[in-house]
Amino acid sequence: MHELSIIYNVIEIAKEYAEKNSLKKIDKINMSIGEFCCLQEDSLHFAFEGLQKGTLCENAKLHIEVQEAQAYCKNCNLEFKISFTDKLCPYCNAFSHQIMTGYEILVASIEGE
Amino acid sequence: MKQILIEKSVLENNDKAAAENRAFLNAQKAFTINLMGSPGSGKTSVLENIISSISLNYNMAIIEGDLYTAKDAARIARCNTNVIQINTAGACHLDASMVRKALSHIDTKHLDFLIIENIGNLVCPASYDLGEDIKVVVMSVTEGNDKPLKYPSMFQRCSAVILNKTDLLPMTDFNIEEFYQDVYSLNENVKVFEISCKDGTGVTSLTRFLMGAIRNKKDV
Repeated sequence: MHELSIIYNVIEIAKEYAEKNSLKKIDKINMSIGEFCCLQEDSLHFAFEGLQKGTLCENAKLHIEVQEAQAYCKNCNLEFKISFTDKLCPYCNAFSHQIMTGYEILVASIEGE
Repeated sequence: MKQILIEKSVLENNDKAAAENRAFLNAQKAFTINLMGSPGSGKTSVLENIISSISLNYNMAIIEGDLYTAKDAARIARCNTNVIQINTAGACHLDASMVRKALSHIDTKHLDFLIIENIGNLVCPASYDLGEDIKVVVMSVTEGNDKPLKYPSMFQRCSAVILNKTDLLPMTDFNIEEFYQDVYSLNENVKVFEISCKDGTGVTSLTRFLMGAIRNKKDV
């Protein structure tokens, strides 16, 4: 259950950028998370509901977009979609452990006024 | 209404602290592992075995992570090794800034080998870079062979898996073929060491692997 500490950081980042851009209030935070990062979306929303109170993000919406995981095949010089248990290049069938996306946990953008 | 693009990693502060730890440990040429695994898988027993065969040749230090108590540090201190205990008071993983603080309390001069024993947990520790060279997962036969697929992230991100308590294989329905198949499907390049801390089986090949890595780091 590290969703709480993740959301704490999300709100800190949102507040920092709101201040830099003179926003008085934040209406929406857009997060982007990789499908390998093992974060539970419901828990993220639950943590956000708790932690947003009394901050610039009070009443803001949290939008979460899940990014698909991709690996790079050096034989074929291309990126392809992978899952935890399937990392074989669809063209040459070689295993690739060069994971390009799937682990990221980003604050993509904020909206407010 | 204004939209502000940020694209900033939520773990950026941790990753910065991890990069500092890594730079410090690289300057010391100290090979560092992040030892993870479930509670009771035998992480501390594995450590005791590693220490008794490696500490004669190399200077070691151990950072012990637990929610509460200094029981593990007390066990390790009996092996006459440099050890410091971190208590997270409830937090489910170590992060890089905790390790940075712990490093300031141990004698890192002439350090060859640092082991960070993470909190017993197969989920959260996998997401936090501590500045280690490699991640190692300890799992035990009694946990069942289905664990790699149930907790894929940790097994996918580690360089070595230590399968402990192999002396209990005949007493359980642990399916070792399925275990290897699952582990390699997550990470074809992972090294697997079957060991028993109880009777010492397999400990030599594990320590040989670690000593090779310690020497490689010294030669860099």
